[in-house]
Amino acid sequence: MDFRFDIIAEYTPFLVKGTLLTIGLSIAGILIGTVLGLLIGLGKLVNNKLAAFPFNLYITFFRGTPLFVQILLVHFGVVPLFMGETNAIIAAIIALSLNAAAYIAEIFRAGIQSIDRGQMEAARSLGMNQRQAMRYVILPQAFKRMIPPLGNEFIVLIKESSLAAVITAPEIMYWGRAMAGQYYKVWEPYLTAALIYLILTISLSFLLNRLERRLNTG
Amino acid sequence: MIKIHNLKKSFGENEVLKDINLVINPQEVVVVIGPSGSGKSTLLRCINLLETITSGHILIEGKDITDKMNDINKMRAEVGMVFQQFNLFPHKTVIENIMLAPVKVRGIAEEPARRKGLELLRKVGLEEKALAYPDSLSGGQKQRVAIARALAMEPKIMLFDEPTSALDPEVVGEVLEVMKQLAREGMTMVVVTHEMGFAREVGDRVIFMDGGYIVEENEPKQLFENPHQERTQAFLSKVL
Repeated sequence: MDFRFDIIAEYTPFLVKGTLLTIGLSIAGILIGTVLGLLIGLGKLVNNKLAAFPFNLYITFFRGTPLFVQILLVHFGVVPLFMGETNAIIAAIIALSLNAAAYIAEIFRAGIQSIDRGQMEAARSLGMNQRQAMRYVILPQAFKRMIPPLGNEFIVLIKESSLAAVITAPEIMYWGRAMAGQYYKVWEPYLTAALIYLILTISLSFLLNRLERRLNTG
Repeated sequence: MIKIHNLKKSFGENEVLKDINLVINPQEVVVVIGPSGSGKSTLLRCINLLETITSGHILIEGKDITDKMNDINKMRAEVGMVFQQFNLFPHKTVIENIMLAPVKVRGIAEEPARRKGLELLRKVGLEEKALAYPDSLSGGQKQRVAIARALAMEPKIMLFDEPTSALDPEVVGEVLEVMKQLAREGMTMVVVTHEMGFAREVGDRVIFMDGGYIVEENEPKQLFENPHQERTQAFLSKVL
């Protein structure tokens, strides 16, 4: 087997662009997914079962169906419905964000519920209202506990953004598949893609580890 | 002054407080004793509305705290609470623990709040721990900080829910000493405790609870030496 570095070199500009898009998709998914996830997680914590129902339904749907299916639904169904025509990058961002939000909502809920009940009671006994107690006492503690599972979710998000290739969003795997198709080669495109993903995920976990350590000593 | 009328509290089918009537006068130290499960902690938590009341009324300074028209948060700010498990905020330093509510709830500026906090820390003998995190304190120190934190809101009444039950025996004394000092200064206090020595020495009145009722109440000397009710006698014979 001769490994053709020359075709990797030929595709390097595309892979660089693809990597930038993968990073862009991931950051957009993380940011939008985190904001949505916090709102949905808080919604699920509402004491009223009826009010919490839509949030439960959301989480059940997005965790219970494959991201692949969600991406296709958003790309060919939801985006054309609102924009007239579809757009692969927008569809990928929407699907990744909605999907991540469901998981992040559960991470927030678990983080908040893991804080001892006495903390809320002490805050309330000092005259704080629910919002003050959440903001000054519960959330700062919960946030620290959420970092490891959130980090996992972000890493999953980077990897799953590769599914955007099937709706022709020109990210890493899109160019990988293009290379494979053009040269009938397997190892060169897919090993290269794997290596790029590995670099991205290892870098992120390195950053997260540092953040965790800093918060633990602070 | 606190007036409790026909207070009932149920957890599902389980009625924990069955018709409690009680008046607590200004500057009075009321000690509540009784076997576990007698409802004494629940009674305390009801006074601070940490439990929703099933029926009955609790009036603090003439205001009915069970009335939904009254601002619960404002009323809670007038009532200090000290918990068995301290419940200090672990992500904040000792002084931040004390300043948080005065600054955020009362709207006091940081500097006066800090000065007041340090003054309270001096009072409980922990001024040098102002910048420490709760994790680095002993149980007795944590509870003294918790008392200072409650006092920072300048409450009209202090509730103590078994404040020494989670402490090692050798540090119980330092917490009781702070509580005695508070009592001497004329703070109105309701104390749920198993410390019979404290009840006898500091209490103006001792209440014995069992099975969700106030079985007997009297001056400490009378109640401990000459209990009228059989159940009180049985309980005291076990703990004294």
